[in-house]
Amino acid sequence: MKKIFLWLPIFFLLFPSWIRADEEAVRYLDAIEKKYSGLKDYIADVNVHFDIETFKTPDMQAKLYFKAPDKMKVESRGVFFFPREGGYFNPALFKKEDFEIRVLEPVAEGKKDIKLKIVPKKKEKMGQEFILLIDRNDNLVREIHTSQFDGRETKAKIEYGRFGSFELPRYILLALDFPSVEPNERRGFGPFEQKSERVTGTIEITYTNYKVNTGLKDEIFTPK
Amino acid sequence: MKLFWFETYKTFSRWRTYISFLALASVVIVSEVVMKLSASEILFRMMKVFQKDFLISGNVLNGWFIASFIMNSLHIHIPFLITLVAGDMVSGEATSGTVRLLLIRPPSRSKIITAKYLTALCYTAGLVLFFAFLCLLLGLVLFGSGDLIVHHYGKFGFVLIPEAQIPLRMLLAFASAVWSMTVVASLAFLFSALAENSVGPIIGSMAVVIAFLVFGNLPLDFFRDLSPYLFTTYMNLWQLSFDIPIPWGSIGRSVIILGLHNIGLFLIALIIYRKKDIKS
Repeated sequence: MKKIFLWLPIFFLLFPSWIRADEEAVRYLDAIEKKYSGLKDYIADVNVHFDIETFKTPDMQAKLYFKAPDKMKVESRGVFFFPREGGYFNPALFKKEDFEIRVLEPVAEGKKDIKLKIVPKKKEKMGQEFILLIDRNDNLVREIHTSQFDGRETKAKIEYGRFGSFELPRYILLALDFPSVEPNERRGFGPFEQKSERVTGTIEITYTNYKVNTGLKDEIFTPK
Repeated sequence: MKLFWFETYKTFSRWRTYISFLALASVVIVSEVVMKLSASEILFRMMKVFQKDFLISGNVLNGWFIASFIMNSLHIHIPFLITLVAGDMVSGEATSGTVRLLLIRPPSRSKIITAKYLTALCYTAGLVLFFAFLCLLLGLVLFGSGDLIVHHYGKFGFVLIPEAQIPLRMLLAFASAVWSMTVVASLAFLFSALAENSVGPIIGSMAVVIAFLVFGNLPLDFFRDLSPYLFTTYMNLWQLSFDIPIPWGSIGRSVIILGLHNIGLFLIALIIYRKKDIKS
C-alpha cells in the first residue's frame, strides 16, 4: 500500500509530459498529412529488384495506382510481387484515430530527425509496431521500421524526388528479416528437422514516370 | 534396325501397352479439371506463405505452373507404368512360350536383346513425352500462359522464370525426365532378363525404386551418406531446369551418373541373356 502512495506522485508528475509527447508526435504526422493534402492520386512505374537468396527472380515491373486516402492497385504484364509494408507511399497511412503515436526519443537540439513509435489500436493490426524516422525540416518520412509479433521485421529507407509540386519516393530500400517457415507449420520428421534459418535480404523499389492528380476513378481499384 | 521395328510393332500392338497412356491421360485430365474448378484454393495454399508480406499480381496459376506441378508426381507413378512394359520385354517371351522360337531365328541373342532394350527406351520416352505434352497442352488451354513460379511448399522463397524462357526450359526438363526414367526402364529390363514371368520384374523394380526413394529421404546421417550412391537421388534432374542460374554442373553430373547406370544395367542384362539356358 505504501508503495502505491510512493508511485502516485511520480505518476502525476510525469503524466502531463507523456500527454505532451503524444501531442507532439501527432503534430509531426499532421504536418506531413497537411503537406500532401493536395495529393489526390498518382500513377507510377515501379521496378522491383530482389536481393534475397531464396527469391530467385529477375527485376519485376508494374504500374502502381494510388488514390487517397488508401486505395492502391498494381497492374503488371507478368507475375509481380510487391511488398505490403513500406513498399509504397501513402502520406495518410498512420491516422491518429487508428494508432497510438508517441515520440520515441526526445528531440535533440539541432537535430532535424525525430523517431516516432506507432502502435495500432485496431484488433486486426495488433501485434504490429512501427517506428518512423521523420525529417522535421522537410516533413518527410525517411525510414519506416516495422516489427510483427511473429518475428517479421522490415526496414524501409525512402529517398524522395520532386514530381510536379510534390516530393514523392523515387527509391525505397527495403531490408527484410523474416522467419523462413510459417511458425505454425510443421514439417518433416520433427525431432530430426534442423531449425530453419531466417530469410534476410533487401528489396530495391524504384519509382519513375509519376503522374499526379490525374483524377483516377474508383472503378480502377475494384477487383475484377 | 529391322529387329527394333519388329519389337516396337510387337510392343505397341499389345493393348496393355496403352494402359499406361490411358492411366496418365486420366490422371492429367482429372487433375487439371479439378485444379481449374478449385483454382482459388490452390492459389491460396500455394501463395499463403507470401500473401501476408506481398501483394501478388499476374497469372500465377498458369499452364506452365500446372504442368510442372503435376510433373512433381513423376517419381511415384510414372516408374510404375514404365515397369509394366519394360519388365515384360524379355520375360514376356518366356511366359508366352515364344522364347525358343525367337532364339532359333538367325539374329544373335545380343541383337535381339539390344532391339528389345531400345524398344523399352522408346516406350519410356514416348510415355514421358505424352505425359508432358498432355499436361502442357491442357494446362495452357485451361489456365493460359504467364511467368512460371517454382515454389517449394512451406518455404519462404521461389524461383521465377520469365515467360519467354519457359519453352526452352520445359524442353530441357522433359529431356531430363526422359533420361531419368530410362534408368527405371533399364532396371525393369534387367529383372525381366533374369525372370521367367513378368510379375517379379515389375514388383521387383518398383520395390527398388521405392526403397531407394525412402532411403534417400530419411534425415539420418547414414542415409545422407548413402544417397549419392542411389540412382533415385539423381532422378529429380528435371527440376534443376527450373533454377536460376541453371546448374549445368549438377545436370551434367546427374546425366553422366544416370547414363552409367543405364549402360551398366543393360550390359548385365546382355551378359545374362546371352548365357541364359532356354532348354530346360
